[in-house]
Amino acid sequence: MATMGNNNLNAKLVLLGDMGAGKSSLVLRFVKGQFLEFQESTIGAAFFSQTLAVNDATVKFEIWDTAGQERYHSLAPMYYRGAAAAIIVYDITSTESFTRAKKWVQELQKQGNPNMVMAFAGNKADLEEKRKVTTEEARLYAEENGLFFMETSAKTASNVNDIFYEIARRLPRAQPQNPAGMVLVDRPADRSQSAACCS
Amino acid sequence: MFGTQSRGDITTHDFNPMMMQYYRPSIHTRRANIVVKFQDLYGFNVEGNVDDVNILNEVREKVRQQGRVWWALEASKGANWYLQPQTPSLSEGISAASRKLSALANTIALKRLIRKGIPPILRPKVWLSVSGAAKKRSTVPESYYNDLIKAVEGMVTPASKQIDHDLPRTFPGHPWLDTPEGHASLRRVLVAYSFRDSDVGYCQGLNYVAALLLLVMKTEEEAFWMLAVLLENVLVSDCYTDNLSGCHVEQRVFKDLLAKKCPRIAAHLEAMEFDVSLVATEWFLCLFSKSLPSETTMRVWDVLFNEGAKVMFHVALAIFKMKEDEILMAHQVGDVLSILQRTTHHLYDPEDLLTVAFDKIGSLTINTITKQRKKQEPAVMAELDQRLRRLNSLKMDDSSPNSSPKQ
Ligand SMILES: Nc1nc2c(ncn2[C@@H]2O[C@H](COP(=O)(O)OP(=O)(O)OP(=O)(O)O)[C@@H](O)[C@H]2O)c(=O)[nH]1
Ligand SMILES: [Mg+2]
Repeated sequence: MATMGNNNLNAKLVLLGDMGAGKSSLVLRFVKGQFLEFQESTIGAAFFSQTLAVNDATVKFEIWDTAGQERYHSLAPMYYRGAAAAIIVYDITSTESFTRAKKWVQELQKQGNPNMVMAFAGNKADLEEKRKVTTEEARLYAEENGLFFMETSAKTASNVNDIFYEIARRLPRAQPQNPAGMVLVDRPADRSQSAACCS
Repeated sequence: MFGTQSRGDITTHDFNPMMMQYYRPSIHTRRANIVVKFQDLYGFNVEGNVDDVNILNEVREKVRQQGRVWWALEASKGANWYLQPQTPSLSEGISAASRKLSALANTIALKRLIRKGIPPILRPKVWLSVSGAAKKRSTVPESYYNDLIKAVEGMVTPASKQIDHDLPRTFPGHPWLDTPEGHASLRRVLVAYSFRDSDVGYCQGLNYVAALLLLVMKTEEEAFWMLAVLLENVLVSDCYTDNLSGCHVEQRVFKDLLAKKCPRIAAHLEAMEFDVSLVATEWFLCLFSKSLPSETTMRVWDVLFNEGAKVMFHVALAIFKMKEDEILMAHQVGDVLSILQRTTHHLYDPEDLLTVAFDKIGSLTINTITKQRKKQEPAVMAELDQRLRRLNSLKMDDSSPNSSPKQ
């Protein structure tokens, strides 16, 4: 994998999961290194971008942080269409959010890009004393469904960068053409390393 | 701000935007740029540069001047000249006809005046009147709101749980909204509404709308009626229900209008595979409250309540139109999004936006929009229906032991 030369990839990444699971918080932690005790609820979706250097390639993530409320479900296809990667987030203190996350996985498996890199994130791992979803249960589910799994905490930053790096590493490289528009080989010029965000 | 006009009304909360006289910036030097942090007219924390502060001070001055125009009109036409004119009774003969005429003249004058902005202190009264909220309220017993909040007090429903979850996440850090009192007030309005219309229940996005209404209106009850009239009369129906079908319809109408009014932008975005609803969905669901500075949002709402939902299209088109050149130069989705985001966040001068929205975009009639909606509705319904069926079949296919049995 480390063989690709000066490669600049653009990858669309979408975050899906129940309301309040911590999607926006994970993105904020990754993009700005911040955490807010009270993060505004997302309406529709918010856009962020962040560039990562992985081995000798850079991956520019175009991140869609979606709204979690059930009725916003009908907007989701617009955001996951053409996505190269997805992070499905649940809150380890809520079984409801775990159930919801599994539904997202199913939907993506059937309707997302076949080559989509899927990460399964059990967030709020810092709230061990309130845990409702065991690590084993989630890991088993992830293994059965071919997802890679991590427990994260946007609050303590645990595993947050890791999950994005892992996705970057797993992205398919050097596709001569990109029929689904999944991973675009970007123009090498004027790529900045800085993050921009859009609400 | 209009200190001399203060009427001593009873307010349900202490936060009074009119009391904020000065922007007291705390200055941080960031390389060459000076970033200034301050609170705006409605108490929101804003971060901008020195130019932004200057613009806001100019806007404040314009608001004051506009106030003088309103007071002068009150002096010449009578205190409540702008309140909905009563239909004159026929028995009054000639004078009825002339009154009708003067009512019409008032309506025209009012429309022009409202586009220039309603002074903050008059907003509650004018909004209640022009939106039809006052009329709506007058059709039920006076105790309606109080009875409603008493009846629902302490009840726990799926909607109330989601509302509780969102209270501290609605404009966190705001000096009044983010206090126990602010939360309680917002909670009552949202929970009460979820009982009034169980099809809507609670839809995320309404928290921001209701929060701003609470800041503007004099009482919580008035905010409730403004929310009711918005959802029931001003906006397209089903904007916030179940699968947001009304919102989907509006997005399609918006796409068509963009193609008509800004064909170059529409073609450019289409070539990039940029779907405008990626960004416009939030604008329409939060009525710009999450994207525009507060006074600019309020100016949009002034016109929205008086002229109806077509204003949403005028403003959304204007945001694209204002940045036409920049957008045409951008070739990545992310770049277009940052242009739009930067633009909306810095629209401190409402005039900049509204001039484009109404002068440059040209007229949009309610008729055209109604027709467009009718045209799009079947397509939206078919799409949502198809999606639902696909998801259901997906559930039936699934035999994995881990899948949950219920939707
Ligand atoms: N303790 C703890 N709290 C967290 C963590 N991540 C998020 N939160 C809190 O959980 C709440 C919801 O987080 P968000 O990031 O807004 O959740 P979301 O998934 O984006 O929610 P929606 O936008 O409504 O779909 C916020 O108040 C966060 O501060 C975490 O890792 N640990
Ligand atoms: Mg969010």
